[in-house]
Order: sequence, then C-alpha cells, then structure tokens
Amino acid sequence: MLLIQSKKMRSIIKAVVPFVLIPSITIAGAVAFDEKKHIIIALASALSALLLFSAGFEKRSTGTRRMVIVAVMIALCFAGRFIPFLKPVAALTIIAGLYLGGEAGFLVGSLSALLTNFYFGQGPWTAFQMLAWGLIGLFAGILSKPLLLRRALLLMYGAAAGLAYSFIMDIWTVLWYNEGFNVRLYIAALGTAVPYTVSYAVSNVLFLYLLAPPFGEKLNRIKIKYGV
Amino acid sequence: MKSFAEYNPIVITVWFFSVTGVAMFCSYPLLMLISLCGAVIFFLMRNGLSHGREHLFFFILFLILALANPLVSHNGKTVLFVMNHNPVTLEATLYGVNSAAMIIGVLYWLRSFTQIMTSEKLLYITGALSPKLSLVLSMALRFVPLFSRQSAKINNAQIAMGLYKDDNIIDDIKGRSRVFSILITWALENGIITADSMEARGFGACRRTQLRRFRFSARDTAFLILTLLLLTVTAAAAGAKSLSFVFYPSITAEKPDLLGIAGLITYGLLILLPVIIETEVSLRWKYLRSGI
Repeated sequence: MLLIQSKKMRSIIKAVVPFVLIPSITIAGAVAFDEKKHIIIALASALSALLLFSAGFEKRSTGTRRMVIVAVMIALCFAGRFIPFLKPVAALTIIAGLYLGGEAGFLVGSLSALLTNFYFGQGPWTAFQMLAWGLIGLFAGILSKPLLLRRALLLMYGAAAGLAYSFIMDIWTVLWYNEGFNVRLYIAALGTAVPYTVSYAVSNVLFLYLLAPPFGEKLNRIKIKYGV
Repeated sequence: MKSFAEYNPIVITVWFFSVTGVAMFCSYPLLMLISLCGAVIFFLMRNGLSHGREHLFFFILFLILALANPLVSHNGKTVLFVMNHNPVTLEATLYGVNSAAMIIGVLYWLRSFTQIMTSEKLLYITGALSPKLSLVLSMALRFVPLFSRQSAKINNAQIAMGLYKDDNIIDDIKGRSRVFSILITWALENGIITADSMEARGFGACRRTQLRRFRFSARDTAFLILTLLLLTVTAAAAGAKSLSFVFYPSITAEKPDLLGIAGLITYGLLILLPVIIETEVSLRWKYLRSGI
C-alpha cells in the first residue's frame, strides 16, 4: 500500500520525515495544544516511521535481504531487553545505524520499541520510545564516518544517547502527568530516573565497547559477500 | 455469538483507542472515575481474581502519583498544611488524585489490550498498513525462539568440545561471548538464505495472507458503528468544553450542560459495550446448555 515510486519523492521524504515532520509533530502536539493530544503524536510518529520505511526499502531484491537483516537485529534487541539491569537495545540500534545506514538504524530502534512493548506493556509511551530509539539509530547512521574512525567518539555518542533517551522519556512522563510542561516536575522526574539514566549510559558504553568492532566485522562481511 | 476477544482486531483496536484516547484528552474527574472503574471491572472480568501482584503494583503507583503532585506543585488557594516551608494545597492534592486516576485507568486498559491483542492480531493490522513492515515484525518474532534454540545448540557443542567450563567466571564470560559471536554470524547468514528462499518462492508477488482469517462479520460492523457513534458524542462533549473542570487557583466546576451529561452517559455506555457482550454470550451459553 505504501509504496512510493518516484525516486525524487523518496529522497525528499527521507530528509523531511526524520528532521522536520516527527520532531515538529511531537513538539507541537506536546506544547501547542493545552490539552493532551498524545494519541495524535503517537499515531503521527508511527505513521512517519512507516513512511520512512517504505522510502528506504523500495528496491525489491536488495530490499528483502536488508529487511531480513533488520529483522535479525530487532530480534536481538528483543532478546536483549530481557537482560536484567543492562539495556543493550540502544547499543544494537547504534550498531545497526553505523553499518547499515540511518534508515535501518531508525527502523531497528523504532520497531524493536513497538515489538518489545507487546511484552513490557504497550501504551502512549510507545510512540516516544519509538521516536527516541529511532532517532538514536538515525543519528548513528548520519554520523557513521567520524564515529567509525574514532572509538572514543563512538563511546561518547553511546553515553550521550543514553542520557538523551532518559531526558526524552522524562519529558513524556511530565507531559502525561501534568497538563503542560512543568520544570519542577521535570527535574523531580529526572531525579527519580537517575538509576535508569546511569544504567542506560553505562550499558550503551559497555555494549558498544564490547560489540561494535566484532559486530561491524560480521555485518561488513555479509555486506561484501552478498552485496546487501 | 462470539466473545469480545474474538471480534475483528481492527474493531477491538478502534474501541481501545477510543476509550483510552478520551480518558487521556479529557481530564474531567467524573469521566476519570468512570474510566478507572470500567478498566478495573474489565480487567477483573477477563482475569478473575488472579494477578494480585499487578493490582498491588497499580495501587502503590496510584498512591505515589497522587502524592507526587502536592509535594511538587504549590498552586492553589486552600492550604491544608505547611511542610518544609512549602504549602500543601487541597487543589494540588485533588489534581494529583485526578491525574493518578487517569494514568492508572489507562494502564489497566492497556494491560487488557496487551492481553487481547496477540502478536498475530498485530500483524493483521500492520499488514493492512504496510505488508513489508508486517513481514519484518513477524520475522523478528519468529527469530526470537529460533535464536534461543540455536544458541543452546551452539552452547552444547562448545561444552562438548571442551572449549569452556562454566564454573570459572572469566572462562564463562569468554565462552558465552564466543557463543554469542557464533550466533550472530549464523543469524546473519541464515537471514540471507531465508531472504533468498523467500524471493524464490515469490515473496512480494501478491498480498500477504494470514494464518488465521479475521472476517468482518455483521456483528463487527455493528460494534464498530456503535463505538464510533458513542465516541462522537463523547468527543463532542469534551471538545465543546462542556466538560471543563478548573483546579487552579481554586476548584470551579461548572455544572455540565446537556451535551456534557450526554457525553458522560455515552462514555459509560462505550465502556460497558464489551461487558454487555460478555454477559450476553455467557447467558446464551447457559441457556443453550440448559437445553441439552
């Protein structure tokens, strides 16, 4: 249903959706409306993810192979969310973004949020999780050149992504609880979330340190061998 | 005759989004009360008295959420008492209780939703939107048990070859990371083979089909139309500010006009729909059994 034929249209969508559409919908939905319109945000960001998806996976023969690799990465994220205390999802998303491109990173992040929440509880926060993890993967894809060159930079990106994830999710917590944005509540929410934030940042750094080089080797090998 | 969970997934999704959507957009206290009670009754109706832990968790969360607001926010006129030089106001407390009722109500609804919407139904819905997306999701779901089985196999093979023992921590970690590395290589190669095999069998040649068929029967249509009708009235009432309730600086509740009352009634009916269906089904079942 969502197949976009024209190549120009696809590249326009690729640029507009992640950078303009999704953030503006989220911010406008959260701030401009004085009432809570999170369902609209949820639907809009999910739909934008779908658009991006169809824009990236248009070419059929390579499309299927890339799709399956994305599914493999999502399955690994899924299994990873069951590990207690450590959270490898963001690290795996970053790896997918680095080696398979920004769109693949976005898909791995957002779809694993969607899928794992069928076990961890689906809700309006799903959209925010999809957005947060998706953007982490997307930026990893965009910044892949410098990040792949210097390992320290990659680890720093991982730590920053962990912090950013926590900050984004707490904006959502406050907005849901309170109509409109309240700085004091936000700081309180950030305070209670400190253990989680630390766990996100630490597990990102740890898993990127351990997994990124061997994982990249394997993905590169597959890319060269099968021309994905 | 079919129970609520057997209705078409699209119909169920529309119903759940209507119920939770109204509860999240409109913060009218009476509506929150209806939503919370309805959600708890619906959950109890489906699960009986099990899941005691979940109820306890929700109850504690309710208390935390209700108490968080008056401790952080000091708006409102009526000061109840002063704690650490900060006034705790009646309005902020009630606001916290209202927000907590909304959140816990929605959490209960979503708990039931997660129970009813199995992954198969999810694939049915996403398949209607984008077949490729649906495929990625269904493959990822299928990979999870496959990978865990394969990693057990690799693990056994490694131990049988005497490559590691799990009584030494460092050895154990090293061995497990080797198993993980082997698993990744295998998973990627296996994925490519799967993709090629799918292509060879004509993947993408036509629409994706489902293992189970979800028909759209007359009952589904009736339920969908009823849901949308009730939602329209409730949404109109909420949108036209008939159900407005101001907490700060002091509580001012206007008496709901005709539209507001109608909105409350239709929302109650909307929530009762599945209860009515389940009652009808069980009554009919009893009647049929008595006839044997």
